[in-house]
Amino acid sequence: MRNFRVLMSGIIDENPTFRLLLGMCPTLAVSTAAFNGLGMGLAATAVLLASNVLISLMKPVIPDKIRIPCYVVVIATFVTMVDMVMGAFVPDLHSVLGIFIPLIVVNCIILQRAEAFASKNSVLSSAFDGIGMGLGFTLALVALSSVRELLGAGSIFGVNIMWHSFEPMRLMVSPPGAFIGLGLIIGLINTLRPKKA
Amino acid sequence: MVKSFPGGIHPPYRKEATSALAIERMNPPKTVAIPLQQHIGSRCDPLVAVGDRVLMGHKIGDSSAPISAPVHSSVSGKVTAIEQRPHPNGRTVLSVVIANDFQDEMVALMPAPKLEQLTAEQLTALIREAGIVGMGGGGFPTHAKLKPPQGVVLDAVLLNGAECEPYLTTDHRVMLEWSADVVYGLRCLMKAARVEKGYIGIEVNKPDAIEALKAEAKDYSSIEIVSLAVKYPQGAEIQLIDACLGRKVPSGKLPLHVGVVVNNVHTAQAVAKSLRTGVPSIERVITVAGNCMERPGNLLVRVGTTFADILADRGLKCEPYKLISGGPMMGIAMYSADVAVCKCTSGILALSKDEATYRIPGNCVRCAKCVDVCPMLLHPTFIAQYAERGMMERAEEYGAVDCRECGACTYVCPVNLPLTQHIRLAKSDIYAKRK
Amino acid sequence: MEIKRLAVSSSPHLHSGDSVQSAMLHVLIALAPAAAFAVYHFGLHVLFVLLTGMAVAIAAEALILRLVKKPMTAIRDGSAAVTGLLLAMNLPAGIPLWTITIGAGLAIGIGKHVFGGLGHNPFNPALVARAILLVSWPERMTAWVGPMLISAATPLSEFRTSRIVPAYGDLLFGFKAGSIGEIAVFLLLLGGAYLIYRRIIDWKIPVSFIGTVALLTYILPAREQSSYFAGNPLFHVLSGGLVLGAFFMATDWTTSPVTKRGRVIMGVGCGILTSVIRLYGGMPEGVSYAILIMNGLTPLIDRYTLGSRSGAR
Repeated sequence: MRNFRVLMSGIIDENPTFRLLLGMCPTLAVSTAAFNGLGMGLAATAVLLASNVLISLMKPVIPDKIRIPCYVVVIATFVTMVDMVMGAFVPDLHSVLGIFIPLIVVNCIILQRAEAFASKNSVLSSAFDGIGMGLGFTLALVALSSVRELLGAGSIFGVNIMWHSFEPMRLMVSPPGAFIGLGLIIGLINTLRPKKA
Repeated sequence: MVKSFPGGIHPPYRKEATSALAIERMNPPKTVAIPLQQHIGSRCDPLVAVGDRVLMGHKIGDSSAPISAPVHSSVSGKVTAIEQRPHPNGRTVLSVVIANDFQDEMVALMPAPKLEQLTAEQLTALIREAGIVGMGGGGFPTHAKLKPPQGVVLDAVLLNGAECEPYLTTDHRVMLEWSADVVYGLRCLMKAARVEKGYIGIEVNKPDAIEALKAEAKDYSSIEIVSLAVKYPQGAEIQLIDACLGRKVPSGKLPLHVGVVVNNVHTAQAVAKSLRTGVPSIERVITVAGNCMERPGNLLVRVGTTFADILADRGLKCEPYKLISGGPMMGIAMYSADVAVCKCTSGILALSKDEATYRIPGNCVRCAKCVDVCPMLLHPTFIAQYAERGMMERAEEYGAVDCRECGACTYVCPVNLPLTQHIRLAKSDIYAKRK
Repeated sequence: MEIKRLAVSSSPHLHSGDSVQSAMLHVLIALAPAAAFAVYHFGLHVLFVLLTGMAVAIAAEALILRLVKKPMTAIRDGSAAVTGLLLAMNLPAGIPLWTITIGAGLAIGIGKHVFGGLGHNPFNPALVARAILLVSWPERMTAWVGPMLISAATPLSEFRTSRIVPAYGDLLFGFKAGSIGEIAVFLLLLGGAYLIYRRIIDWKIPVSFIGTVALLTYILPAREQSSYFAGNPLFHVLSGGLVLGAFFMATDWTTSPVTKRGRVIMGVGCGILTSVIRLYGGMPEGVSYAILIMNGLTPLIDRYTLGSRSGAR
């Protein structure tokens, strides 16, 4: 039950993108199309789950003074694996996401969860946390990307759903649109579900 | 040539109701309540007791402190009480209440010799004994201004005849009708302060006063009449010195630090009259005006007369929205008409709602109108916003203590921010911390 | 007569009667002649664009005030109407109504209320919206037209390609292509003079802005030219959105400096940026971006131009 709550908090109340405001760089850069957002989210979730579990398993042997470099090595290992897998099985997505896949190594979400959760909790809890945070990140990315793709290109997941004379709002697929869109969504969420003090 | 200062505003002057009315002596009231503090400085101690009969001009209060001035009875009669009474400054002050016997029996008078036969020390002592304080509203004991501290050299006396506040025409009438006394008073002040030059600054909306004083002063080459632009606050001492003499008083300093003594024209006239007749400072001219007044005018009233008595004497057409002691820009709104006229009260305004409505404040829109009009070249909106947030050290950095509270900033603010009020809060907080 | 109640408040007890509303009214009056000329020159469609801009801006403000639970009386100050009008005047005459609608909503929503409403916005709301529209629909935003909404090149873009300078009279009185509000330079100057006379705007900003542009476009060589001191300052002052921007956009109270020296610096800064963008940048016109950049620098300018803070003696 507690683990279930851990998972749910990663999706809603402690959503890494909308509440913790972590991993902003890939969020803003990659969310131009819903499919890209989904892909990045799932890739990050895979890495997050794996690294949380392994770091939790290894916590008795990681020396405290050099724990951050140790975490980075673990995370980098899994990112390399994910990068190769994506290159092999989804080459188009891999080339669209480009440099942002290797950059998952320095995604603050993963490092923060390792430091704040996985290094202090059981393996099972860490796994749930990884899944929860990853899902939260993925949902956030998909939400933002859908809005940006819809307004900026007239489609969702590649499907044209706006009327034929719709003129896309190019701002939304460029960086300023990312900032404004993200800001407005965070404002909306804070209004609908205020932060617990 | 008309002189001026940077900044300032042009409020509607509204002086037409009283500027052509000659000074009228008001009928003496049944009782007077004479405050024992009508000046900046230490309060006087009473020298009479309840039940005493006092004569007009009798000294009823004095203090041994250096910054103080004695207080005299303005009627003859019996002292009925010595008690706390409302004062125009908003607080209550110990006052001597005297029931008028309408005899107007005067103490034995000793008019002073002519100016040429008096030394500077004698003049200063006579000015103190007559209880003369600044009659433009400030109420600073005049004798104390004439004795500068060690190391300060004075070279000019400047009389403020600007009268830049709307409604008030007191100084205008004094300059017009008693011009000889104004000039004689200036010469006395010059001798007491040991200076060679005297100036009288007058706004050009009072051409008759300028002419009258020029005629009176024509035989004295040491006295210059300066024509000033009609602008508020032209009569504020820093702006007056800037316009008349071109001297800038540095931040935190006083006029005496640039060698100037500033007095009001009515103060100079009071000096002349008391030396000439021997009667101390017991009455003064005030402008009674405002839309609620039945018969506005310039009245010569006895010190200690209550506002209520004056309003009853001149008649109220309607209940005033605000009752102001002084002018509408820097005067104080009274909560009761039972306050007494002091030596420094320059006017009583019974204003209707259209003349002085309270407006609801918004938030600053950075229009900078306050910055453009501030005669002290401050940034009122910044000082006020820091004061509002309790950040008094920042308010002090932005020059809060240089504010003269003239109110020009609040007058122009399009969102009705109470700038002057907030800056006052900052100043009182800063001064309290300095003690 | 008995005195029962007296109002007591802090001095001063007089007020000039100035309000944001009266100022906004003066701005609308100042813009009216230029707007009327635009309707005459381009056609009736412009009237709908201007009215839509103002109406949508007011409606957006009403909606937002309701959402954030602020008093609805704020609508009456007229600032939304002015923002809507200014935005519309910055757009090409052929702009479709849906574009100005979205723009007005963005101006009020993102340009103004996201920051806290009147007095809190760091950037000119109309220009924020214009910048967003330009990025979002670049073809629509650069589809310049002349009379009867027939496509035409603006004097600045014409000058870039062919170095032809049209008659100065046409440039001054508005017989050219351009955005709705920028063409009637003479009428805008009259409006600007009116605002200075009414003490709504400070002359220092437009004078230093236009003066700097005149000076720099004279001294500096344009891209294709190679000589200094051979520029055409009169052409540059009369073309593009300079007069509209200098008198009506850069002078916006909230987004311009509060200190006297700061205003001159802002004007000069805007002038330098406009000149550089026009002469060397990728776009034929640079006024909007120049003003937005200087808006961003305004708090810094204020901080460093306070002068001797106390009494300034």
